[in-house]
Amino acid sequence: MVQTTFLQPASWPEALEARAANPDAVPVAGGTDVLVEVNFGRLHPSGLLDLGRVRELRTWGREKGRVRVGAGVTYSELITQLRGDLPALATAARTVGSPPIRNRGTLGGNLGTASPAGDCHPVLLACGAEVEVASSRVSRTVPADEFFVGPKRNALGADELISGVWIPRATGPQSFSKVGTRNAMVIAVCSLALALHPDSGRVGTGIGSAGPVPLRAREAEAFLEGHLAERGAWESKRPLEEAVVDRFAELVSQAAAPIDDVRGSLRYRRHALRVLARRSLGWCWNDYREAAR
Amino acid sequence: MTVDPSRTDDLAVVGTRRPKIDAMARLTGEARYADDLSMPGMLVGRQLRSIHAHARIRSVDTSRAEALPGVVAVITGRDVPIAYGVLPVSQDENALAVDRVRYVGEPVAAVAAVDEETAEQALRLVSVDYEPLPAVLSIEDALDPSGVLIHGEGQGANVHKAVALEFGDVDAGFAAADLVREDVFSFAGNTHAPLEQPATLAALGGDGRLTVWSATQAPHYLHRALARVLELPSSRIRVVAPPVGGGFGAKTDILPHEVAAAKLAMVTGRPVKITLTREEVFHSHRGRHPVQMWVRTGFTSDGRITAMHFRSLLDGGAYGSFGVASTYYTGALQTTTYRIPAYRFEGLRVFTTKPPCGPKRGHGTPQPRFAVERHLDRAAEELGLDPVELRLRNAVEPFSRTVNHLRITSCGMRACIEEVVSASGYHGKKGHLPRGRGVGFAVSAYLSGAGLPIYWNDMPQSEVHIKVDRGGGVTVFSGATDIGQGSTSTLATIVAEILGLQPEDLAMVTADTDLTPVDLGSYSSRVTFMAGNAAIDAASKLARLVAEGAAQRLGVPPEELVFRGGQVAVRGDPRKSLSWAQAVRAASARGALMTSGVYWAPEMAGPYRGSGVGISPAYSYSAAVVEVATDPETGEVSVEEVWIAHDIGRAINPVLVQGQVEGSVYMAVGEALMEEQSFRRQGVHRGPSLLDYKLPTTLETPKIHTILIEEPDPEGPFGAKEAGQGPLLPVIPAVAAAVEDALGVVVHEVPITPDRLLRALRAGHRGKAPVIGPASVPSFEFGEPERVQPPVGSPAEVAVP
Ligand SMILES: Cc1cc2nc3c(=O)[nH]c(=O)nc-3n(C[C@H](O)[C@H](O)[C@H](O)COP(=O)(O)OP(=O)(O)OC[C@H]3O[C@@H](n4cnc5c(N)ncnc54)[C@H](O)[C@@H]3O)c2cc1C
Repeated sequence: MVQTTFLQPASWPEALEARAANPDAVPVAGGTDVLVEVNFGRLHPSGLLDLGRVRELRTWGREKGRVRVGAGVTYSELITQLRGDLPALATAARTVGSPPIRNRGTLGGNLGTASPAGDCHPVLLACGAEVEVASSRVSRTVPADEFFVGPKRNALGADELISGVWIPRATGPQSFSKVGTRNAMVIAVCSLALALHPDSGRVGTGIGSAGPVPLRAREAEAFLEGHLAERGAWESKRPLEEAVVDRFAELVSQAAAPIDDVRGSLRYRRHALRVLARRSLGWCWNDYREAAR
Repeated sequence: MTVDPSRTDDLAVVGTRRPKIDAMARLTGEARYADDLSMPGMLVGRQLRSIHAHARIRSVDTSRAEALPGVVAVITGRDVPIAYGVLPVSQDENALAVDRVRYVGEPVAAVAAVDEETAEQALRLVSVDYEPLPAVLSIEDALDPSGVLIHGEGQGANVHKAVALEFGDVDAGFAAADLVREDVFSFAGNTHAPLEQPATLAALGGDGRLTVWSATQAPHYLHRALARVLELPSSRIRVVAPPVGGGFGAKTDILPHEVAAAKLAMVTGRPVKITLTREEVFHSHRGRHPVQMWVRTGFTSDGRITAMHFRSLLDGGAYGSFGVASTYYTGALQTTTYRIPAYRFEGLRVFTTKPPCGPKRGHGTPQPRFAVERHLDRAAEELGLDPVELRLRNAVEPFSRTVNHLRITSCGMRACIEEVVSASGYHGKKGHLPRGRGVGFAVSAYLSGAGLPIYWNDMPQSEVHIKVDRGGGVTVFSGATDIGQGSTSTLATIVAEILGLQPEDLAMVTADTDLTPVDLGSYSSRVTFMAGNAAIDAASKLARLVAEGAAQRLGVPPEELVFRGGQVAVRGDPRKSLSWAQAVRAASARGALMTSGVYWAPEMAGPYRGSGVGISPAYSYSAAVVEVATDPETGEVSVEEVWIAHDIGRAINPVLVQGQVEGSVYMAVGEALMEEQSFRRQGVHRGPSLLDYKLPTTLETPKIHTILIEEPDPEGPFGAKEAGQGPLLPVIPAVAAAVEDALGVVVHEVPITPDRLLRALRAGHRGKAPVIGPASVPSFEFGEPERVQPPVGSPAEVAVP
């Protein structure tokens, strides 16, 4: 019989202490990733650190132009409570798993797993979110695009836990979309988030399931930002030329580093990203123009 | 007292909509599936599976596993050396590989230990010395003369079965044709994915008898195989099928873990349970064969078929399973929908080093049905005919014989076609919907039970016993397994109708070889028809006994009594009656109240080898119209709406029939769009999980309009025919036809994945033919066919102009 230590801190400070004292104990939030790994025999934790009793993790709040979402907030809560502030994140949450998974699974757990297919990640990248992490000694924030350091690896230190995520509130249109033969209970063939930030003139992108980590399409962002600024398009709100949309889509597709696997071919993924990029830009720019009227 | 099961009026419970009698038990978790069973001292069994697609086993060392504390026994192929197979002609499988493994996942050893962890750990301590051999993963590989032989020397190539039959004069038929068309098709292999993973519990009693509880669709065949492999008389073995959580054919074959659990129970003297993991279910398989097909058909200018030549090549996987039957089935039912005056069929099944294929819902007929329906659509285009009209012009006649000697009785195909075409508005939609949307149409037929048992015998195909206790309680004993399709409810309804009771009043004892008489099993859509008729026989005999007792009491002849609403009453004078319980008491005073009923299918086989496959006492018919929405940029296809008409003869319980139809549509959508059992180069399954093996979810399930056509079949119980498999068949070709209508691509292959669809569209943009499908089929020399005279009076003599 394998012995497993089960730790159940009742508060955030206790959780951080437990983490420091038991660096081998695996944190558990909703358990929808951890328990699958355990059941498949891929994970043999010597200890489990259950975060379910840590109230602080379950809350969210607005602060200036940002929302701080606790790591323990579930997909169901994102959908029902944060649709207005974080529309793309709520859309992504709606595509996750099935109702039971959405009731258990958390934003922090998605980041903890850091899968290239995690559905929150493209949105966090596109929105310019920051991940707040803490140890019993110190707390720090990590920009989302520095958080994913390798396939299923993140920037978390051995004594750290994720406390929450700071996400700028939407000031412009956002979208999240994915493709696949089946759209529930799947790992997406690929996905794309797009966020327009008219206040800062920025364009944010995030690509899922098409590389070793969730990716930003930096060149596509820079190209579109440059184009919109140069033409004064944010002010004039005129329609985008076809060529601009195509170029943006091309750059998004090139930013991906997809592979062939059982879910889709490399070629299909690149193609699908191009389609998603073209559509996302179309929807978002359209929404931007309509909102102004 | 007379019972007329073909009467159409005045039915009390048959035809009423009601829940399954075990619905609450299944919904609340009260139903105990095989894996829910547990016994004191029970051990957990696990199987070690091959990591090679093909290898010689040099040796297996179990000593380290045996030494592990908590391990009670380890067995290998040497402990179960007797080969078996569900068909007498294919006794080619061992529960644990003896000297060779032939697919990744083939069981090599089995352990029994005190718990799951120990059993798992023990597996890691078994060392197998393999000498790897080349993997054989396709029909082309299998037929390569320089390639390796999977089942040893002497057999020539890897041919498991080759068939060539000709009915009537095909050359003359083609010569008389105005148009001769050829097309090739491909249908990917896919698996059943029943919700319940197979599980078996085996225990040796103090009396030395072995009891095996197994999630099986065919306890009788398992019983036979166990007796053979374990070298025990059948009388020393009891096989029980607890409620089964879905089968679709996956639990019809004898599965290696069933034998392993039984053997381990005998070796250890303790109960042993083996439950397959989901991953193991993909290896256990026995699912849909990948089939390549070539078909050539001659037509007159007004669209009448003059001859057909159909060739199918099946990739069978490592073992025989039901494969010989599967091979014949790919050629048998073409003639049940269309009058084909001359017909030639060539079928080939090869061995490959992949999990064995077997029967899945529709067994061997969805693939040819896909090909034939698509082929007829092509011909309709070329002839300038409406696809519906082409079908109607060739539709078989009720009460006729096909050129390959199949006996057609009731046939509601025309009614099915007319209903779906009008309900869906097909003609207003085809070619008229906006680009990206489309409709497709197809028809099909299926057996209501295979006409012959799997092993030759002249005993009844189904028997039902009924026993009544002195208080009036009725217990029905049937060997049929309820796999979720509701067979137990259906049998209860039939018996209740005859006895004037409610189905819920009856106690049902099923699928237990000690207690219940033989029913061959829940496969080939046979239970309603065959066990249903045996139930009518048993219930009618019982009603006779009760009527005789009641008649004496009431002072009327027994013929004047009717059974209705829990009463036995004088016809026309309901005040003169006894309650059921009083009637039973009166009858019991004359002797024991126990009857048995039987069903034999009529003799139908034609004068040729292989004629046992395809015959059935009745065929169900279906027609479907499918509407799809496609995304030409991503290649995604969504099935939006399905109209399906099914000729059921009579719905014993319309709720259950509708459930079967909807389930069939659901499964067909998966096979048409996403399901594929696919393997990497070394023969490793690409995604043996429900995450990566894509099945539709409720979100992908379309709106389904089910239309039941009820023209009672003269031999069916109360006129009923089958519902479990037939409705799957027309949906797959209709989805393909709808995608064609939506996007103008040619679809000759399933599944229609986004990748494939986009490639076809891209080819179209480059000015090439936009086709999803193969360019050719592998070549094989079938040699001269066995020529069979068509039956007298078949369309051969009347249809060719
Ligand atoms: C059937 C099914 C369907 C699914 N569908 C989807 C889908 O569509 N899209 C998708 O993105 N995911 C999906 N998932 C995966 C999973 O649900 C998500 O990744 C979810 O967000 C995980 O959250 P959790 O709270 O359950 O995490 P857990 O399983 O509890 O933890 C996941 C990881 O994060 C770590 N962790 C958790 N909280 C913290 C913390 N506060 N600090 C540090 N580390 C932490 C854990 O140690 C672990 O490594 C699915 C899973 C299942 C079983």
